[in-house]
Amino acid sequence: MKSHTDQKLTLKNLLVIGDTEMELAQKFIKKLFPRGFLIRVEYLMLLFIFASPLTARQSGKICVAVLFNSTKSNVASGDRYVGVFVREKDEAEWQSISNTNLFAFGISFSQHGATQRYYIAGGNGLHRSSDGGKSWKILTSWQTMEVLSVASDPVDSTVIYVATPYGIFKSTDDGTSWTEKMRGFKTWYTDEVIIDRRDRRTLYAATEEDLYRSTDGAENWSPLKVGAPGMRTIVQHPANFNIFLIGTEDHDVRVTLDNGKSWKAGVGMPATAIYAIHASSDGKEIYAGGFRSGVWRSEDMGQTWQQIWTAPEIEAIYSLLVDPADANHVMVGTNGKGIYESYDKGKTWKQAGLDGAHVKQIAFYPF
Amino acid sequence: MLSQQLFSKTVFRCKIQVLTLILLVMASAACSQSTFEERQDRLLAVASQQPYKDFLIITAKLRTGVEVPSALSMLDSLTRDESIGGMFYAYGLIGAYLYNRDLLPDSLHRKIRRSYSERKMVRGDTENHWVMYYTGLYLAAQTWPNEDGAQWFNGKSSAENFKEAEAWLNFWIKLTATKGQGEFDSPTYFITFVPPMLILHDFAQDPVMKKKAQMMLDYLFADFAAEHLAGNYGGGHSRDYPQDIINPLTAHSTKWAWLYFGEPDVEPWSEARGKSRHRAWETVFGAVSSYRLPEIIRQIATDRSAPYVHTETKRVRNVIRFGEQKNPRVYKYTYMTSDYVLGSLQGGILQPIQQHTWDVTFVSDKPNNTLFTLHPFYSGKELAMFFPEEQKVLSDEVNRFHLVYTDPNKWNSSSPYEQTFQHKNALIVLYNIDKDAKHQHIDGFFPKTLDERVEDSSGWIFCKAGKTYIAFFTFKKYEWIEEEANWRWRSHDRQNGVVVEIGTEADYGAFDEFKKRFQQAKVEHQNFDTNLTVKYTAQDGVVMQFTYGGQRLLNGKPVDFASYKSFNGPFLQSEAGSGVLKMTYKNHTRILDFNRIAIEEKTNRK
Repeated sequence: MKSHTDQKLTLKNLLVIGDTEMELAQKFIKKLFPRGFLIRVEYLMLLFIFASPLTARQSGKICVAVLFNSTKSNVASGDRYVGVFVREKDEAEWQSISNTNLFAFGISFSQHGATQRYYIAGGNGLHRSSDGGKSWKILTSWQTMEVLSVASDPVDSTVIYVATPYGIFKSTDDGTSWTEKMRGFKTWYTDEVIIDRRDRRTLYAATEEDLYRSTDGAENWSPLKVGAPGMRTIVQHPANFNIFLIGTEDHDVRVTLDNGKSWKAGVGMPATAIYAIHASSDGKEIYAGGFRSGVWRSEDMGQTWQQIWTAPEIEAIYSLLVDPADANHVMVGTNGKGIYESYDKGKTWKQAGLDGAHVKQIAFYPF
Repeated sequence: MLSQQLFSKTVFRCKIQVLTLILLVMASAACSQSTFEERQDRLLAVASQQPYKDFLIITAKLRTGVEVPSALSMLDSLTRDESIGGMFYAYGLIGAYLYNRDLLPDSLHRKIRRSYSERKMVRGDTENHWVMYYTGLYLAAQTWPNEDGAQWFNGKSSAENFKEAEAWLNFWIKLTATKGQGEFDSPTYFITFVPPMLILHDFAQDPVMKKKAQMMLDYLFADFAAEHLAGNYGGGHSRDYPQDIINPLTAHSTKWAWLYFGEPDVEPWSEARGKSRHRAWETVFGAVSSYRLPEIIRQIATDRSAPYVHTETKRVRNVIRFGEQKNPRVYKYTYMTSDYVLGSLQGGILQPIQQHTWDVTFVSDKPNNTLFTLHPFYSGKELAMFFPEEQKVLSDEVNRFHLVYTDPNKWNSSSPYEQTFQHKNALIVLYNIDKDAKHQHIDGFFPKTLDERVEDSSGWIFCKAGKTYIAFFTFKKYEWIEEEANWRWRSHDRQNGVVVEIGTEADYGAFDEFKKRFQQAKVEHQNFDTNLTVKYTAQDGVVMQFTYGGQRLLNGKPVDFASYKSFNGPFLQSEAGSGVLKMTYKNHTRILDFNRIAIEEKTNRK
């Protein structure tokens, strides 16, 4: 469901020049040239491309967040597929890296300097590991329940946002304390929060009533009037940051090409719930899936859609991932049927493990 | 030689203990006027003989000295089994540990400590889950202070865990005292609130928390007592399982009533009135706790010498979407007599999945001593009001845990298409089922254990259950479906209503006289299909007029739910939001003041 990947200091992101990347680059420059050597950032980008001091660091690991095994109780331990699992890209076996008995709604990664962090948006709070998943700590307390999505500031590691059924909460002290940030919201249920790729103080929140935007670090929110209730997922196009795609509860995909000024429905898709949207890294292909929908693909920025796969045994698709290094490789996470993947852009699919699990998010390790 | 003598003495002592227990077991159910201490001993004696591997049975065995090696082995196994955890484990383990700490070998001390590092104490997502989880966490963090996050399952230090657990317990206690519970008056889930408060009361080192736990125990038992009748938990319930709804004396709450109120006179493990859904030995913590129920609460629970009206307000559990309020109010109305209790919630969705909106429960030696109706409703949207998962798949998910959620024949349900209006022993229930609702019928539970069930030509259905007489009237045609324990009354009209009035042998004399009186009763419902309104003149002459989605008029005056107090009846008084509960029995009062964390007792000498 949460197809957003965090901002991170990687070559892949630095190639896409935006305000956030500018800040990252400026910080990097300051480290390289502490006496204030001036250089145009664009030139620095080229330097990265050719010298590649930060080589593309997408490892071959795929990480999934799994809500719970559909056949077991939700009150006791012992469920086989609960938590977060990883595997190498070409391997078959999934390994748990999180606490078991953790209802995982989403995962996120961040890197600040040498510190790499994994976050799990979990039913019992926000979990964080700073040692590659060896140990975890719950950062939130009882007031911040059922964390559905997490976004960490790409520059300031102490700033973290979470979306919960009780609204947006923000921490500015590395998760020690949390403050509700809902000024401007009409209702409190929030499914997802993402940070704009261009500006780290601009955020988007998927609520039950509308898509909201904040331009001041979640202090104030304004509705973007998508025109359909029940925001389920938000995706900012990886190549054109003015394009946003929204999965809704009953009105399939809504898309804006002008940074939220106007919205239209995706053409070709029947009215249904869309829980997951993900784009190839060049943005040319966008995939979507949801409740009894199968998998749909758009090749025109989400304006028109074609169904490319349906399987009667799969009731819902919760998550999607297009391999950033191989656009032929597409994965879907299902409700209760684990993971399916395709190596030919969705023409043929095979079951890829975790059968029985609700897979809420699939992501590549960014480091 | 010395050790041989010691061994012989120990064996002799054990034999005496076992003999005593056997005698206690033999002194069986017959002693209906037993004291609390006798019931404590009896419970421990019976529980200690059970083979089940759980913390309560282990506690009973260790406390009575019966099968001690077996109990230690069970406890050891529970600390090693990685497949178990969760909130039941979190509070049960620390309870068993603290009650039996001095009896455990060092190796078990270490294993139990390690369990709070290695077991996954998931917090869950309901009020009862959180009470168990945070009580367990509070006492565990208190027991093993000054340890860093690496020693705890959640990565937080002892101090962080203690602070979080303490803060939530304080929040919950204040919320309950001012607005009521979300999982209120639940015959099933009562067992998940009382035992955590018992161990908190017994082992919290902070005297304020200890006092709060004592006050919460008083509060929970007083809340139960005012709606208690001979072991039954009367009135509407937030959450209950179907089997406990259709056979109330098999519910878990009955086991606590037996231990603390001394009713019913049938022992909890007896299957004379049906087999319980779960073994539920949680009462063992009551048998070993130092908490003592104030006599005034027992008196409130058992004195049914005069009928009374008792009202309450509770709260809906957290509404996360599709609602304007996070915790809307729930209004309860209960009419209590010595023979029956008639109680209702106002209707609508007040709790997902397991709501029991109304029933009449009567004193009986037979099982299935209750009668009620419902609309079996389910929807993903209802669940999505309370759970964050995708609404279109939620119904199936809930069905996996609560196997009857989508069942058209289920006996527990909240429905947005059901509303009630009660005045003393008379009740009107109206249904206006949406054409798109999954199930389009209304069901009624009529137990086969009724002495009589008569369909009268006047349209009334008359039932006799011992000394209780029930008059049941419906506006539309219906059918009877025979089932194992009951006749299922079923109406297929989406717009329909039910009028129920209860009487007793003491009120009417013979059952025939009761029937005669109701044959003349006025139920005006002729235009119900167009105005969804019914007007009924009860036997006491009071006119009840009720419009679905509209007003409830009593002799022309609207009923004002907004004026409802937290508790209002002859025994319990609490202004909404006050945090003060006053109990009254004859010339004695006991006041729980949650603002000052104080208990005040008064006896007026006349």
